[in-house]
Amino acid sequence: MKRSPILLVAAAVVALVLPFVVKDAYWVNLAVLALMAAQIGAAWNLVGGYAGQASLGHAAFYGIGAYTSTLLLINFGWNPWLGMLAGGLVAAILSAVFGWSCFRLKGHYFTMATIAVAEIVQIVFTNWEYAGSAVGLSIPMDSQGLRAMVFSDKVSYYWLALALLALTLLATWLVERSFLGFYFRAIKDEPDAARSIGIDIARYKQVALCLSAFFTAIGGSLYAQKELYIDPGSVLSTALSIKMALVSILGGVGTLFGPVIGSVVLTVIEELSRSSFGGTGRGTDTVVYAALIVIVAVFYPSGIVGWFKERTARRQARRDGATAEEARAAAQATSALAAPAHESTGASL
Amino acid sequence: MNITWKFKLVAAAAALAVTAGAQAQQEIRIGVIYPLTGSLASSGAEMRDALEFAADIVNNGLKGVPELPFSAGGGLSGLKGAKIKLVFADHQGNPQVGASEAERLITQEHVVALMGAYNSNVTQTASQVAERDKIPFLNAESSSPTLTQRHFKYFFRTTPDDALFVRNAFDFMKDIEQTRHIKIGSVATLAENTLFGDQAAKLQQQYAAAQGFNMVKQVSYPAKTTQLTSEVQTLKAANPTVLLQSSYSEAILSMKTYKELGYLPDMLIANDAGFADTEFIKTLGKDAEYVISREVWALDIGDKKPIIKKVDDLFKARYKIDFTGNSARSFTGLLVLADAINRAGSTDPEAIRKALIATNIPSSALIMPWKGVKFDETGQNTQGAGILVQVRDGKYSTVWPFDLASKDVVWPMPKWDARK
Amino acid sequence: MTAELLLQTLASGVLIGLIYALVAIGLTMIFGVMDIVNFAHGEFLMLGMYSSFWLFALFALDPMVTLPLTVLMLFAFGVLLYKLVIKRIIDAPPLSQIFTTFGLMLLFRGLAQFFWKPDYRTIENSFVSGSVHLANFQLGRPQVVAGAGAIIVTAVVWFFLHRTKLGSALEATASDKEAARLMGIDSHKMFGLAWGIGAACAGAAGALLSTFFPIFPEVGANFILIAFVVVNLGGFGSVAGAFWAGILVGVIEVMGGLLLGPQYKMAIVLTLFLAVLMFRPQGLMGKAQ
Repeated sequence: MKRSPILLVAAAVVALVLPFVVKDAYWVNLAVLALMAAQIGAAWNLVGGYAGQASLGHAAFYGIGAYTSTLLLINFGWNPWLGMLAGGLVAAILSAVFGWSCFRLKGHYFTMATIAVAEIVQIVFTNWEYAGSAVGLSIPMDSQGLRAMVFSDKVSYYWLALALLALTLLATWLVERSFLGFYFRAIKDEPDAARSIGIDIARYKQVALCLSAFFTAIGGSLYAQKELYIDPGSVLSTALSIKMALVSILGGVGTLFGPVIGSVVLTVIEELSRSSFGGTGRGTDTVVYAALIVIVAVFYPSGIVGWFKERTARRQARRDGATAEEARAAAQATSALAAPAHESTGASL
Repeated sequence: MNITWKFKLVAAAAALAVTAGAQAQQEIRIGVIYPLTGSLASSGAEMRDALEFAADIVNNGLKGVPELPFSAGGGLSGLKGAKIKLVFADHQGNPQVGASEAERLITQEHVVALMGAYNSNVTQTASQVAERDKIPFLNAESSSPTLTQRHFKYFFRTTPDDALFVRNAFDFMKDIEQTRHIKIGSVATLAENTLFGDQAAKLQQQYAAAQGFNMVKQVSYPAKTTQLTSEVQTLKAANPTVLLQSSYSEAILSMKTYKELGYLPDMLIANDAGFADTEFIKTLGKDAEYVISREVWALDIGDKKPIIKKVDDLFKARYKIDFTGNSARSFTGLLVLADAINRAGSTDPEAIRKALIATNIPSSALIMPWKGVKFDETGQNTQGAGILVQVRDGKYSTVWPFDLASKDVVWPMPKWDARK
Repeated sequence: MTAELLLQTLASGVLIGLIYALVAIGLTMIFGVMDIVNFAHGEFLMLGMYSSFWLFALFALDPMVTLPLTVLMLFAFGVLLYKLVIKRIIDAPPLSQIFTTFGLMLLFRGLAQFFWKPDYRTIENSFVSGSVHLANFQLGRPQVVAGAGAIIVTAVVWFFLHRTKLGSALEATASDKEAARLMGIDSHKMFGLAWGIGAACAGAAGALLSTFFPIFPEVGANFILIAFVVVNLGGFGSVAGAFWAGILVGVIEVMGGLLLGPQYKMAIVLTLFLAVLMFRPQGLMGKAQ
């Protein structure tokens, strides 16, 4: 999978230059939202895209991160940077429980189990007095600045979000190139073959999950420090879990930049439709947004990155003299989203 | 020919100058963030209509109600007749979206003040953005006490908070005990497991303890539930004399479940929300009778305060429904904000803020049963008040405070089989 | 906590469980035949409720009377949806399928709000309203009728699948798509049929619910998680499994709520669900893995 270095550099330049060119707080805020969505999408991608374990319960880790750092701050005065790290570690450790309950299950059963675990976590927090239960927790605005991780301007959050995204992508890239990446791919595409060459499937699924949970939790802490208020509905909902996965699916699962592209597209669509149609209250923006999701899901199942790769591969094959049929076949072979060896889950009506 | 040509030119220039002058009239842009989609969208729509009505009154006047501020119309006189323009945004019940929309309204739509957001958790984040951007935020409907505990400088709340409303319910129960010579003894709460319900239940527990009532059970249920059987059966087993309930969409479902399972306490005192919704009486018909709810407003107060009836009639003529507690508060909120901007004589947020701090509106100018509008250092209106209403003959009748009551309380509620 | 209270709660649990079962049967059928998880299933329920509502509001016809019409309309809608959208994602990766149905879920909710406004509607005074008194029990009549209706519809579906030629063809496709095709069974027709029946079952559940549950665009959200739990618990693809799991979930939810606190009722259901999957990863009646 060749990545165009030109595009990479261009993207990096845009990302670094944006806050200097765009002065409007609204657009910067939008960029921050896109970066944050990309970061948690990339975190999900580690286990959902690369290792093929499509969890729809990742909000549990996001919430654990947000609540851990916030509780440590409010009740013990912990610095949010430390709290963020602590949140990541707590999530990574608790992901063992998550994995234990879910990884022995296959296919749609696994996905449903992840939803169940996340819903249970949300119910626990909704009823946990110490964590504010349904009332939620507020972070005071008194101390601001880098140390307190609370800023009055949006640009500082932009840099923070960009840094966390870069960190997550770096981790993804390192994993991709390492033996872990190879194992993850094997677990996703050819689990039986992987087992036969001695890969401990259960262990490496868990490793993927730990990594993913860590970075997702960090994203949760960032949310808390930005919005300064969290409650179970905003950091633990299944809708959020779905969005985390959606970002990668739109962009292209198992690709490094898929989550980034997916997040930018999704955020832009969401914001544009809401600001254009939202004020009417007819729900037009929801209809537009949903219609677009359906269209992309139906016509671009490999996501935007996947579609792009297929197109490039198709063009390349044509250039090499193949017929249209052969070209299409070659393109699909390079598709980053080859449907994994589909384990039958039994069916008897 | 020369003369007519020059004449035309001068006439054209004059016309241009007049229109330019008219356009030089400022537009006062006020951002409003409400739930316009999602489960609370019908409340959002009601409040929106009320705001548009209020803005229209300020801009174009309202015949026949001279005691209402701005009823002469013509825009804000302190700003040379500048008209109010409302810019609406939908927060979809999501605190992060509420914050984004606040940001958008402030930086893109250049609003001079914000109003909203009904849902207390969205008001929390949206007003946070306003505080950071130093834009005044006027909250007319969210009742969570935590909103004014943040010591914000730009946050102003006209509505009383839940602490006052819960206190009302207990004061009422004490009054009933005295005037009817009964002892209530045991109470229980049923609340949805959200910010609204949770806080209300906590407050109710505190007041029960302080006022000597026995809180026998506190039942909490998840907001999007499919049935309330366990909840009702639990209440049946606990058997309180009075049930204090906080529900939005489950208000109707709960009443139906009570009837189906044959449960009814001596009295149900509801915490507004779903019980004050236009659908409640319409759907339940006779089954809604005798339920008491805390409220912020009732149409029958218009008998004692004519301005209420007059404005409601005009609202109803245009929007086909009466005011509700929510829409009446929204309406009032905009007029309070308009009053402040008018006194500030400028669209500078600081000036508006100072004007808001100096607000002192008498009861006679309001369609609310309040003593007035005056904000304390936390931004809370200290002159607000609540009432209690009872559903009687298909309408909400004020039953407390007794001096505002239009009917005597029926206590206890007749059991299901004793009705008809 | 008297025995009477417990028994009455149990009865209520069974009744709501039957509704869950009916919703889940439609969902499990779609899964069983074509391996697609339909996130938009709650919206079939919602449409069934609105169908009953509008027929009631415009023509004063009771939902019990218009039930067959609602079922037919939802069946047609399901088949149409298959032809227009689902057909295109049959061979797409599972994640894409999930997202298509998820997008459809949002789309239908948005359209419902767009056309019918977000207000809560109810059907007042259907001729099944009121209470039923049996011995010491008092149960809501709409719930009892809904429960009975759910049993009848389930029986009809089961009968169709096991005693008719078309039903057998459907089941054959579910067991082995390729073999069925080799025997001359048109897979696409079967898929369309599965979607139609799935939507029809959810629509029937909606019609039965409409006599006592409020109707609003997002009502599907209240039921979809439970429907998924029921389908999983019963075993993906098993109609009998969905039926019994539905009743079980209803009972656990209501009894668990009564005994351990209603705020935990879903957590109790979900925990037991995960526990069952620990020992039987294929659900109660699914095919062994």
